[in-house]
Amino acid sequence: MHLHPIANPGTPAVEVRNLHVTLGNHAVLRGVNMRVPPGELVALIGPNGSGKTTLLRSLLGLQKISSGEIRLFGERDIRAALPRIGYVPQRINLESSFILSVREFLAMRSRETRSWFWQSHTQIDSRLRESLTGLGVESLLDRPVAQLSGGQLQRVLIAFSLLRQPDLLLLDEPTAGVDTPGEQSFYELIAQIQVRHHLSVVLVSHDLSMVYRQASWVYALNGVICCEGPADQVMNAESLKEAYGIHVSTYHHHHGHDDHVR
Amino acid sequence: MFAEPFMQRAFLAALFLAPLCSLLGVFVTARRMAFFSDTVSHAALAGVALGFWLGFGNPTLPLILVSCLIAVAVYWLKENTELLTDTIMALLLSGSVAFGIILLTALKGKQGEIQRYLFGDVLAIGPSEVWLSAILFFVVGSGTFVFLNGLSLITLEQEMAHVCGIPVRALNYAFVIVLTLAVTLTLRLLGIILVTSLLVIPPAAARSLSRNLRQQIVLSICFGLVAGIGGIALSYQLDMPSGPVIVLTSIVLFAGSIAASKLSKTTVPVSP
Repeated sequence: MHLHPIANPGTPAVEVRNLHVTLGNHAVLRGVNMRVPPGELVALIGPNGSGKTTLLRSLLGLQKISSGEIRLFGERDIRAALPRIGYVPQRINLESSFILSVREFLAMRSRETRSWFWQSHTQIDSRLRESLTGLGVESLLDRPVAQLSGGQLQRVLIAFSLLRQPDLLLLDEPTAGVDTPGEQSFYELIAQIQVRHHLSVVLVSHDLSMVYRQASWVYALNGVICCEGPADQVMNAESLKEAYGIHVSTYHHHHGHDDHVR
Repeated sequence: MFAEPFMQRAFLAALFLAPLCSLLGVFVTARRMAFFSDTVSHAALAGVALGFWLGFGNPTLPLILVSCLIAVAVYWLKENTELLTDTIMALLLSGSVAFGIILLTALKGKQGEIQRYLFGDVLAIGPSEVWLSAILFFVVGSGTFVFLNGLSLITLEQEMAHVCGIPVRALNYAFVIVLTLAVTLTLRLLGIILVTSLLVIPPAAARSLSRNLRQQIVLSICFGLVAGIGGIALSYQLDMPSGPVIVLTSIVLFAGSIAASKLSKTTVPVSP
């Protein structure tokens, strides 16, 4: 059963009130309200340029806001909340010449292996092993982070985010640049993680079938929140038309079950 | 050679500064900051000229201050103007060199100083430079390992570092200042023109033989030590200026590491 976020008890992981963000002369967000209850997977959908990434960046303090209020776990201090947040960005421009290995990268995030420089690979691996189970990154530990493929990097970034046992995971189109089978397994992984760790998740995605399957609440954004509600209510032609404009329809991939917006 | 006090000071300075520059150089090369170190080293010429003009017998202090000022100016202009970083650095580099040369030329009896600072001179290393190098080595060396995770994350991707709670701006400025201090002290050994080589060549040589950051850091420090100490010893034996000999020694190490890297790749058996 889907609950309206306001009906879910407990301090919300995210609460956004009347958020305005202007980039240059362009008002990207114009009075956005959003609420993410604890332990729920909330999806954010909308066309390109609708402000989805700007909204996520605002939550992380990466984007200066013009007005409005953001509370994370009930607090206004975003910096204080950062240790409780995992973030997987849409695009990440890693410094390709930097030779930091996946093992070293992940070790930095775990409290037990923070002093990785002075620990042997065996020590690091044994301390990380439990946290990495089921994430599919064990075979990548010796590879340089900056030389991974899109799908491999997304898995490593998820593993990195989870090592501090976050309460909130922010995923910005995490499968951009990942092939379709990789995309499916990635979303299955997210769903498992969300249930296992009882995480609050905000997911920006164009994959509407995934949103339909996994999200307990959907916000459709286009500068403002056009509509919100349980996935089966928001994801009808009428609501999508409101969010995406008039030329909207859904289509099916040949493999049967993926709806995408076009 | 070790009986000469000036050579003892030169060896001690190299012992402290060469591994320090090679350690910082791992991040300088990965962050593409070689031109930045060139800019702050050239700014030293303005500091030297200003020091002599103000009546300093040893211009180390004004040299450090002017270079730090230029380093901060690069980052301030980068943050507060639309100018590209390369443009800012080229502007400040040429401006400070022009200012330094004009002032040194105008000061009677100081024209010869230009060459000493451009190409390095072991005789210029006094006890105060050795002490400063030792302090910098212990403070910055240990600081780099304390902040290794933060420094690595801002090198890899700055926004991700911010999300991990790293004070990105403060750490960037701290890195720029310690890098400038290391460059300004090392330029007495290598000279303004060649000082960047110790920040670039040992890490580059180490990079070709490494599979992870730890290996690169350890190898880079080793290569830096061999180039610094070996270069000074060779320069004494050959009666050559120390800077160019240190650079050529590190280039030999670099060539060797490239050859070893290629050789190891060709001899790795192909798995069936």
